[in-house]
Amino acid sequence: MALPPSLRTTATPAELELIASEQLVEIVPLVAMERTAFISGAYGPLRPPTKCKMPIWMATNLKLKKKCHIVPPDWLNVEYLQERLARETSEPEFSELPFRFAEVAKVLLDVASDDISSPDKVRSLLQDIREARQAKSREGLSKLDHSELSLPNLCSMEINEIRPFFVRSMSILTQLVREPETRQMDQFE
Amino acid sequence: MDDDYYSIDSILAENQKIQCTFKIDIPDMGHLDGGNEHDIKALSKAQIPMWMAYILIYSDYADFTIPPPFSARVRNALNAEARSVRLSNLVGQGGLWYGFGRMIMRLLNDAPAREISDVLIKTFRARLPEVIDQAQHFAAVHAASGPGGGGAALASDETTMAFREGLDGTERELFVLAQKSARRTKRWYDSSERGRR
Repeated sequence: MALPPSLRTTATPAELELIASEQLVEIVPLVAMERTAFISGAYGPLRPPTKCKMPIWMATNLKLKKKCHIVPPDWLNVEYLQERLARETSEPEFSELPFRFAEVAKVLLDVASDDISSPDKVRSLLQDIREARQAKSREGLSKLDHSELSLPNLCSMEINEIRPFFVRSMSILTQLVREPETRQMDQFE
Repeated sequence: MDDDYYSIDSILAENQKIQCTFKIDIPDMGHLDGGNEHDIKALSKAQIPMWMAYILIYSDYADFTIPPPFSARVRNALNAEARSVRLSNLVGQGGLWYGFGRMIMRLLNDAPAREISDVLIKTFRARLPEVIDQAQHFAAVHAASGPGGGGAALASDETTMAFREGLDGTERELFVLAQKSARRTKRWYDSSERGRR
């Protein structure tokens, strides 16, 4: 294959961001526009000040031209994230968050931080959540098994980050285990 | 570490020598031992590379002893604290301790093989979190300097340094994987969209 090794094992964060940008987000348009057809579907019509759903890539584009306000998703605010952080630090499991929350949050904080209330607080909360979750996935590493791995509620960016070495470690473990079938039989006896 | 015929790693792991004791006389093969003898006598000992040892052992021409990297002394040390054993010292720089161990495991049967397998797995599990931790730490430290700039010239305390030097080839590979991936993710988090659009 002509792809460099780093791209064969996993997707790049930028690719994930592109995928996440297909998700719909609510905007408050500042300009009027007829319903317009795109390859991924038809969006609009824009009738200020009626809210409208748009893919994130289009919303950011309009936002940068100052033609709309983005309505942040209901999980992107201080109260919700604070509650999640509290759960994240008190419970052993990963708390439930939207699968692509890291990508969506970053894009929105980048281009539309004026539409989000107290963006700096949100940013630092996201950072804290990320660190708390990283500590947990590190713990999962010590329980790594050759045949299965269960880390529910892990989100796409985190999966992407740990995928290369988790997969490799598991394949190494598989090779170190002597005849997995007979070992399992022993356990049942 | 793979079984692939073309895997360079697997060929390198096979280059390790193990101590074999011949059970029978083998004529005209004295040069294997590096000595001046013309024949190999029964009960004589020789260091034989793994790739040749296989066939000798399977054909019942020779017996082998568990090589020093997997001796009782090393096992005890691994049991006590797997992270303070320098695997790279056991098999030479860039050596593949796990790959070597897996080959020994294949030569043995039942109980001793399971024992080696347990040692390998336990060691790997015990060392893995530390490997990844350090890789991620280094990725964070060197994220700004870009690929290739990392690794060297970092003043850190001696135990982590010793641990990194003691990594075997397989662990080194994991270290690099984890470091690259962490660095890439960190760069994405740190970058800003505004300039690009």
